[in-house]
Amino acid sequence: MRERITFVQKQGNSIEPTTLKIKSGVLNGPEIQAAREDRLTIAVDELPTDLQALLGTAHELHIRYVSSQPYEAITPLLARLPPGFHLFYTPAREAEATSSALCLTLNKVFGNVQCETPQESFTTLPRDRFTHSAAYQYYQQSVDFSPFIEYAKQKLCSSVKDQSCAIRVDSLAEASTLDISYDAISHAVKLTAAWPYQKREVHATSRPQARTEVGVLNSDRPGHLEPHEVGISGLLTVLGQDEKPSATMFAFASRHRDAESSFSAELLEPTGLHPTLQLKLESNKPPTEDAYCSPHAYFTLPKTIFADRHQLSDDLFLTSKNLTGLRYISQPVDLEAPEYVEKRWGSALLLELSAPEHEKSESWTAQVPLHLRYLSPAEGGDTDIEVPYPAVFWACAAEEGTKFPNNPFEKVNLGYDGLFGPRTVFWHVEPRPEIGSQLTNTIKVPVLDTDKAEWVSGGTGLAVLLGFAWIVWKLFGVLSKSGYQSQPAQATEASKTKKKQ
Amino acid sequence: MAASPADSTAVKSSLFNALFSRPLPLYLSAFLLRAILLLYSLWQDANSPVKYTDIDYLVFTDAARFVSRGESPYARETYRYTPILAWLLLPTTWTAGAQWGPLAAKVINTAWFSSGKVLFAAADLVAGWLIERVLVMGTDFPAQEEKKKETEGEEKGGKTGGGKSNDGTAMAPSRARAFAAIWLLNPMVATISTRGSSEGLLGVLVMALLWAVLSRRITLAGLLLGLSVHFKIYPFIYAPAIVWWMDAERLADDRIRSPSSSSSSSTSTSSLFRKMKNFLTLPRLNLAITSLATFLSLNFLMYALYGQPFLQETYLHHVTRIDHRHNFSPYNTQLYLSSASTPLPTSSPSATAPLGQLKIESLAFLPQLLLSTILIPLALAKKDLPTSLLAQTFAFVTFNKVCTSQYFLWYMVFLPLYLPRSSFLRSKRMGLSALGLWVLGQGLWLQQGFELEFLGRSTFLPGLWAASLGFFLVNCWILGVIVGDGGR
Repeated sequence: MRERITFVQKQGNSIEPTTLKIKSGVLNGPEIQAAREDRLTIAVDELPTDLQALLGTAHELHIRYVSSQPYEAITPLLARLPPGFHLFYTPAREAEATSSALCLTLNKVFGNVQCETPQESFTTLPRDRFTHSAAYQYYQQSVDFSPFIEYAKQKLCSSVKDQSCAIRVDSLAEASTLDISYDAISHAVKLTAAWPYQKREVHATSRPQARTEVGVLNSDRPGHLEPHEVGISGLLTVLGQDEKPSATMFAFASRHRDAESSFSAELLEPTGLHPTLQLKLESNKPPTEDAYCSPHAYFTLPKTIFADRHQLSDDLFLTSKNLTGLRYISQPVDLEAPEYVEKRWGSALLLELSAPEHEKSESWTAQVPLHLRYLSPAEGGDTDIEVPYPAVFWACAAEEGTKFPNNPFEKVNLGYDGLFGPRTVFWHVEPRPEIGSQLTNTIKVPVLDTDKAEWVSGGTGLAVLLGFAWIVWKLFGVLSKSGYQSQPAQATEASKTKKKQ
Repeated sequence: MAASPADSTAVKSSLFNALFSRPLPLYLSAFLLRAILLLYSLWQDANSPVKYTDIDYLVFTDAARFVSRGESPYARETYRYTPILAWLLLPTTWTAGAQWGPLAAKVINTAWFSSGKVLFAAADLVAGWLIERVLVMGTDFPAQEEKKKETEGEEKGGKTGGGKSNDGTAMAPSRARAFAAIWLLNPMVATISTRGSSEGLLGVLVMALLWAVLSRRITLAGLLLGLSVHFKIYPFIYAPAIVWWMDAERLADDRIRSPSSSSSSSTSTSSLFRKMKNFLTLPRLNLAITSLATFLSLNFLMYALYGQPFLQETYLHHVTRIDHRHNFSPYNTQLYLSSASTPLPTSSPSATAPLGQLKIESLAFLPQLLLSTILIPLALAKKDLPTSLLAQTFAFVTFNKVCTSQYFLWYMVFLPLYLPRSSFLRSKRMGLSALGLWVLGQGLWLQQGFELEFLGRSTFLPGLWAASLGFFLVNCWILGVIVGDGGR
């Protein structure tokens, strides 16, 4: 077991080494404005047996939870995803896809994960020899984290009396992101939690039987920095080993950068059954002049709502919405099924947006046309659903030959990264809601009102019976008057009507 | 409907003469109506993000593109039609060669892409022409020669034709064209086919079927019946009516009739057996065998080419679909309600599922099929085959579990054949109230549907439900009147 605790400040905010006090495995420092990231690396054989069994069936498994509270991300902890519970999974053997073991364990660890088997509930990701995407994707909008916190306390904290451990695990409830990553090659699970950029005390304790490394870092710009690199400087300490922190400065290539602008998403009224989600971006200027860049939005839409890829294929229509095109949509998306028979979690889509060209930077909007599925009838005649914010970024092409080896803070397998070439750099636009305080929008979906449904069955039956009886009565009239044979008397009938006219 | 020849003031009568006395003006105006709509569709599609072209047309043409690449048309999701449709639309995938300039190439590509709409619109015109043929031919049967004389006589004897009631015998061509105009100049029909809906193809198939039957081309009728059932299933309801209609007297088939009548006089065969033997005439067997053979061989061919997806999408889909989305059908609200409640039976013990829970929607096929395949043909087919087909189609659409406005075209094609003898034309008030109620019923439903679809109001209950039941009852009333007329 290894642990890495990192405090990250913005550029220009560094602290004096002398302000850090290190004593018997505990590091204390001043209160600073910083983001915090904790990473615990656990070898598979140190895990509880049920998890070991589960991971035995996986080639790779990445669970990424993103809070629906807006948060400011800072370099280098920049990779963003839509808020919610994301899962990327490659089974060790294809047969695992039809097994419910994964979903059962997820339910045990996280509480209410509503999946059945990967084959039924997950979507598949496109894979070719250039990308390293996982095979399956799953997403769920809201997952209550308390079951996981309880589970983690039981498994991670040595005893009930270990108060500091319990407090640390409890603090996961305030994390902005939580990642649990496993791959069969490293044979280890990385548990990474990050807390937003805000005032916090520098404090870290080492865990027994674990090497604990603490960094108090800030982004920096050393002289030799390449355009695709970010620089970091600061102080590193290994608890229980170092007596004072050592200064460090390093640079690495990063695929995730800060576009230093923001966006918001809201629904155009009235929403009806075909709501439009409007993205409002603060700036139409690409984050860098050095490369070709284009704005994108990556959505994970729960099964209550979906985009129609056929609608998103007409250029005239797309242009009128400030969209360039649909670059990816998970397949298949049933365009007709109601929510209550749909087993797949929903759909992921990547839209390229079209920023208006203006000399000076200005805000602009893009409209994303969506469609609601029919939901189950409910009391009162409507049901609220939540539509998560997308992840919005400028995708810029790095220079030919640029390599992006894994860096210490890198996240791969985010769902969208595999949809781009290996030299693409993602400049993230920060979600900042204008209305409300969540990275979701609520839609009131009209459904059949069960309070009024009492008479439907009887009324429908009665109407059908009435209509049917009337026609049968008329048919009976015809048959009793003239039988079923053709009428020889027709001529006289006809002459009668002739006279009338 | 503007074409009622009964109310002929001087102005109307001269307009009537101008439009219907010769074929050209009518067919030219029907053609121009569609040509203008088609050009307009090109303009709107090119200039507005709101498209004139129906989404179905994009489904067909996408499927045709898959076929042109040697793939299955069912690779296009929601393609639920026979592969023949995608084959027919193969020209929509053609593009201009390299020798053309960019502008010419664009024009050529657009023209090819629209060729399917041209096909559908042409099918409309042919269906209209067949309507005229059937009306002129007459639906009932004096011997062919006599009828011919009669028609010619009428044609010579002046164009008014107004006061003459048609009772199944031939109709003057000018008058026939006036009634065919109900289909040919109908803006709803022209719009639906220029938007790229394939219903016009069904119109022409079904009208050709009727024409073939009435003109005793039984093998052709069998082929058309098999093909149209393969195309859209519902025309199977015409089979019993046609079979019932084509009795030995009507078909004047001596070879069959004489031995059976002689046997009846000489032996003591049971009367039921004799009746059955009389019923099984050669033409009936011919129709049954050709239609079944056509239907089956088309299906075998398509299955061999495209496998399970063909069966699933064209046929089985109709068995498994839920039809929960709002549409005109009276069952719609009930279907939405029950489709959502079925997956949860585990929570309720069996005691709480009383007889009241009997699902009426699972019995929906009963009134529908009873009317459209048994009762109506039995009562009407021998008296007035076109009216029987109209009433059957009307019943099938009205009592169906799903109903959209495109389905109305299925029965509209028969209206010109029925209206000349209808109560709706005889009594202006009745005709106008039927039309008014039919339009009003749809209007009310559409208004509720708009509130739901675009304003997000939960109008499922009672609004949409009541509107669909109201529209259903209006349709039943109209159907009752049609049945009454058909029996006279």
